[in-house]
Amino acid sequence: MFRRSLLVMLSIALVAAFSLTALASPEDGVLVFGATGELRTLDPHVSVDNNAWRAIYYCYDRLVEFKLGTTELVPGLATSWDIADDGLTYTFHLRKGIKFIDGTPFNAEAVEFNFDRLFGMGLAPAGTFGFIDKVEVVDDYTVNIILKEAFIPGISSFATDQGCIVSPGVMEHEVAGDWGQDWLTEHSAGTGPFYVDEWTHGIRVVLARNDNYWSEPAKLEKVSIRYIPEAADLRMLLETGEVDIGEKLTVDQIEAMKGTAGITVFEAPSFCCHYVYMNCQKPYLNDVRVRQAISYAINYRGIIDDLWRGTATQMRGPIPVGLVGHDKNVFQYHQDLEKARELLADAGYPGGGFTLKIMHAPVIPEWRPMALVIQEGLAEIGIKLEIESYAWATLRDKLNKGDFDMSHGYWTPDYADADMFTWFWFYSQNWGLAGNRSWYKNVVMDKLVTQSRIEVDPDKRLGIFQGIQWISVSDAVYLYLLQTDYQIVMRDWVKGYVYNPMLLNMPNFPGMYIEK
Amino acid sequence: MSPLTYIIRRIFLVIPIILGVLSITFLISHIVPGDAAQLMAGPRATPEIIERIRHEHGLDRPLYVQFGMYVYELFKGNLGKSILTRRPVLADIVDYFPATFELTTAAMLLTIIAGIPLGIISAVHKDRILDQLSRLSSVIGVSMPIFWLGLLMMLFFYVRLGILPGPGRIGGELPAHVTGLFTIDSLLSGNWRALADSLSHLAMPAFALGYAVLARVVRMMRSSMLDVFSQDYIQTARAKGLRERGVIYKHALRNALIPTLTVIGLSYGELLGGAVATELIFAWPGMAHYVVGSMRTLDFPAVMGVTLVIALVYILVNLLVDVSYAFIDPRIRY
Repeated sequence: MFRRSLLVMLSIALVAAFSLTALASPEDGVLVFGATGELRTLDPHVSVDNNAWRAIYYCYDRLVEFKLGTTELVPGLATSWDIADDGLTYTFHLRKGIKFIDGTPFNAEAVEFNFDRLFGMGLAPAGTFGFIDKVEVVDDYTVNIILKEAFIPGISSFATDQGCIVSPGVMEHEVAGDWGQDWLTEHSAGTGPFYVDEWTHGIRVVLARNDNYWSEPAKLEKVSIRYIPEAADLRMLLETGEVDIGEKLTVDQIEAMKGTAGITVFEAPSFCCHYVYMNCQKPYLNDVRVRQAISYAINYRGIIDDLWRGTATQMRGPIPVGLVGHDKNVFQYHQDLEKARELLADAGYPGGGFTLKIMHAPVIPEWRPMALVIQEGLAEIGIKLEIESYAWATLRDKLNKGDFDMSHGYWTPDYADADMFTWFWFYSQNWGLAGNRSWYKNVVMDKLVTQSRIEVDPDKRLGIFQGIQWISVSDAVYLYLLQTDYQIVMRDWVKGYVYNPMLLNMPNFPGMYIEK
Repeated sequence: MSPLTYIIRRIFLVIPIILGVLSITFLISHIVPGDAAQLMAGPRATPEIIERIRHEHGLDRPLYVQFGMYVYELFKGNLGKSILTRRPVLADIVDYFPATFELTTAAMLLTIIAGIPLGIISAVHKDRILDQLSRLSSVIGVSMPIFWLGLLMMLFFYVRLGILPGPGRIGGELPAHVTGLFTIDSLLSGNWRALADSLSHLAMPAFALGYAVLARVVRMMRSSMLDVFSQDYIQTARAKGLRERGVIYKHALRNALIPTLTVIGLSYGELLGGAVATELIFAWPGMAHYVVGSMRTLDFPAVMGVTLVIALVYILVNLLVDVSYAFIDPRIRY
């Protein structure tokens, strides 16, 4: 009897406790962000991952910043900057009276320390500043950055996550010459509107407002970035309101959520491009007519309207819409099987009759169905396309070695300049993972892409980019498929969100607030 | 041999097993084509940076030297540094393993606490409605994939009914850190809210993970009970007028338990494997994410470390099962 009543009591207690916790609602000053990707480090000089940048970016400031919602640069920790006539020196005039969260004052030496740390550690983010020769402290609040050679788009790099200015105070935590890396992996040391309050691995990162921020303080008290690996779970949490805003959901899920009351789906074109590399060093593909024929054989509309449910735009050459330098008149391929067959016959392959292979990796689930559409298009002109799936690491290895015919790929820019889509993609010294993944070589192109990096006159630069786009399209270097829309889902009570295509996956937390 | 000598001998046997596991994992993870240094450096790193990273992690040395170095460091208690997180692998495991251990242990407890009585009931009521129901649910359990069951449960209990919390390990405040097992930690610190919170979060994933094994335990228990029931000594016990309860619990159960225990011990490996899917579905912050991420980026030290820990836990659980035989059946000697 006693045992039975104990059991009943225990069950009642458990049910009561469950319902208590299940219905607990989050506080108003806390924004819960649901992320399907997990971060690995909070050190801006180590990370090259958007999932980490989301947490890092607003704990720091940079010398220059992207103006809210644009790719335009505005003063940040530097009040102004000059570029020398020869383009070889950037001079930054720094803001006075600012302290890092750890109390260290911000000055020219702190800026110098950051580049010493970046280059001293020599990790991936250092690559973004590969154009810098040295950093010179002129006085307490002036710093000169000397370039190896003129590099016009360089200035925009200072506004990226890699340009976050870290407190020299991290050196107090240095262990065995690691530049304080062990410590900064788990903490933040910036001047930004937030700081890292808690990181429970695999569960969440909590950012708290820096109440002593030198500029306008953040509206939110805290941002809790929850890690929810499964998109189906994220959808449920958004629908119940346990998560306020989140990414990434699949195209289907977003489609289904569009009608849901209380939920807003934000969509805008991103700079993320999905394209196909065509290895110009391989048989068949080394003939421009074959590459053109392939470009004419693809059902672009089918890929965009059916597979991507219209949430993408067909590319028109390499430079995406929205980026300065994009030429809206450049030739755009469309499906024209007659033309494709003619080109193949011209190249000496009437009716096709050869086999190519295309690689993809399951990391991007859309790639396989896209490959099937491409396969179907090529079958129409007599080319047999075999689809091969590889692990991400293996795919990248094969790309780097040039051991493939065709491969799916995507690209997002690190800095806001068309250079990201031209120099990396077409310069013959960049073969492989560096960016020229079609292993393409054209002397004229090499000259143009190099010139575009040093041309000071903006109009002349635009002319160069125009030339690059026309050549890259007529040479059919890549299969220019699509530029995706960025999508983020939020509850109606989330206010103040402003999208910036350069800060993908990094919403403007300082300006956001909750109004229930 | 005394039980103690047996246990010590079994513990020494662990060393060659672990070495075998390590060398196979090492070989497989290094045969896979792909450049770990390249992956670590990120897409836009210069060749100098890549070379530097390669050297720093010893990836430029011959394979056998790398393996030798690894084992040497291992004996000093150093599992190496993760390429991906740049933290000691041991620190990462300490972060992620408790969640997996809590989940798999909860699932295992569930299979023992529910599976054994259900099996007995099934056997006692053979071919009657209770038996049929329990057999039906067993078939469902064995044939239903975890990810599907998990999503369905969540849709029903969290979205529709709202009586159980959604994905995650805890909703509110974390209990003070002692063992990393939230249920134990909140008990130790007397934080009842956190206890209820973590228990309610544990309910669905533990069930989803344990269901398939539970089903197997029920079937196993049922058939060994039926087997024992047909033995002469049970007939004798009944004939001498013992109460049916006594016959079942004193005479039949102990004898029927051994094969079931073996199944439970072996199933622990399956629970650890199934934990990967369960953790992903329920956003459970265990080893699954860590290990999947590590495999994708060829993070050798992390993959090796996780394999080592999982192998150790599996061996340990089975050792416990073997030792427990003697307690259940005093006739068993080692």
